[in-house]
Parts: sequence; structure tokens; C-alpha cells
Amino acid sequence: MAKVYNPSKWGPRVAICLVAAIPVPIATYMGLFQWGLIDSFWDPFFGKETEGVLKSELSHEMQDIIRLPDAILGAVAYIGDIIFALAGSNRRWFDRPWLVALFGLDVIPVSLVSATLVFMQAFVVHSWCFLCLVTACFSLVLVLLSYDEVFASITFMHRVWKRSRSKRVVWNTFIGKPSKLAYEIAREIEKNGRKS
Amino acid sequence: MWARIVEFMLACWLALSPFVFAHRSDATLLWTSDLTCAFLVALFSLLSFNQRLNKMHLGNLLVAFWLIWVAFSWEFPHEKAIQNNLVLAMLFLMLAIVPSESHLPPRPWRTFLKEKEDGKKT
Repeated sequence: MAKVYNPSKWGPRVAICLVAAIPVPIATYMGLFQWGLIDSFWDPFFGKETEGVLKSELSHEMQDIIRLPDAILGAVAYIGDIIFALAGSNRRWFDRPWLVALFGLDVIPVSLVSATLVFMQAFVVHSWCFLCLVTACFSLVLVLLSYDEVFASITFMHRVWKRSRSKRVVWNTFIGKPSKLAYEIAREIEKNGRKS
Repeated sequence: MWARIVEFMLACWLALSPFVFAHRSDATLLWTSDLTCAFLVALFSLLSFNQRLNKMHLGNLLVAFWLIWVAFSWEFPHEKAIQNNLVLAMLFLMLAIVPSESHLPPRPWRTFLKEKEDGKKT
């Protein structure tokens, strides 16, 4: 039997869940420190610098706006990655493109922005935080693991638009309504891959 | 249905929150808001188990927006209660959009694919 291209199969999605599950306790640990529920913070490399990052003025300013420690917001974002990775069938890239779009929005831009912010801390706060760097690395790994499915869905939607030139058909396909055209394009991508 | 079960468990936590975070006994509106939201989330989640009402979980989006509005506009006895409600609201926002039978393709696709398969067989 010929191999079928399927970016939504369970294996890679469970891998995303496992990878996203690692930074959740790390971010929660940082959040507990920012909340003041723990007194000192473990950092094998940068020592007290980490406490400077987590209790920096920038961090306090962010908390005034979002009313939550930024590390807790990060933990919620990683939980979101797990929720959206688990949701949907093993063909969701074409039967629920809206869900893959939400997953993509939760993983790719959010991870890239948070990773950039973490790597920028040396220039803004002038201190480093080892566990922040670890979570930023996990964010980048999540981007790498998830982009294939997101791009398969974008390719699918783009081809539906190219062949139908109808906003209605594109919208219906996006919200999960089937059509002969959508089915044919999905089969084509399954057979030849998204790059064909 | 896992999303509905998680929503229900979070609703139980929301119902306990006024006690855990010790809302003042005269803060009737806050007590009412938290307990009503917990009741509604639990209700919408449980109703979604019924085939005919399986989209009721979308009602949890309204509850989540209400919790966010309350967190940013009402006065709470202390900051932790706001933060608890905000975290719950964000989780409700994400969980509420997960379809009830999310492990299966949407119903129209299921019917379509079944028709295709039946067509192939005959």
C-alpha cells in the first residue's frame, strides 16, 4: 500500500503534547517565585541573576497590564499548545482547518515572540535566567514540530481558493464542510505531499 | 469529550475558589458571579454530552469573557482571586472551542466520506 502523507497523525501530535508538557512545571515554578509563594529560585548557572530577571521592573510592568505573572501566562500558553494538539481527528488538517489555524496561532507566533523576548532579556534587563532560556528552547522545538501540519493546512486552503476562486467555498472548507473539490485536493496532498 | 470533563473539573475548582480565596462575606456580587459561572460551566459541559445539545459548550466562551471582564473591572479582596479567575477564564476560552467529538471528523465530513466509500463499493 502506498504511503499516505498525513501531517495530523497522532504520533507527532502526542510528541508535541509531551514536549509542551515539560515547560509547564518549569514556567509554573517561575510563576510561584514571582507570586512570592517560594522564597528562593534555583539556577545552576546564573545564580541571583535569575531572580533579577523574574522580579525585574519589566516583569512588574507586564503584571500590572495583564494582572498575572508573565511566567504563569507562559504556563497557560503551553497548556494551550497541549489542548490544541490533542483536539481534532487524525485528518484535521483538511476536515477542521480552523482548528489547525488556531493551533498554529497558539504555537508559532506566540512561541517565536516569547522566545525572542527571553533571548532579549540580556539587552533589556541585563541579566540571564537559565530556566527562561530552557523554556524558550522548548518553544522553538514546538514550532519545529508543528509547522508541517500548519503549512499542510495552509497549502490545502490555498489550493481550494486557487481552484474555486469562491470565498464561500473557502469559508465552508475552513469551518469543516466537505465538498468534492476539497476532497479531491485533500487526496492529492495525501498522495503527493504538500510540496508537490 | 475529554475537553468537557476538564471543563467540569475546572468548574468545580471555580465553585471552591470563593472559599479558598476567602471572599468577604459582604461581597455578595463576587460570590454570586463565581458560583453562577461555576454552575453555568458545569451545566454547559454536561449538556454537551447530549447529541442534540453537543454545541452547548460554546456557552463557556461567554462565561470566560464575563470572568475576564469581572477580573479587570471589579474590586477583589486580594490579587490572587483575580489571577485565579483569569487563569480559569483563559483555560475555558481554549477548552470551549474544542468540539465535543473532537477525535472524529466533523459530522458533514463523516457523512461525505461514508457516501464516497459506499459509492466505491457499489
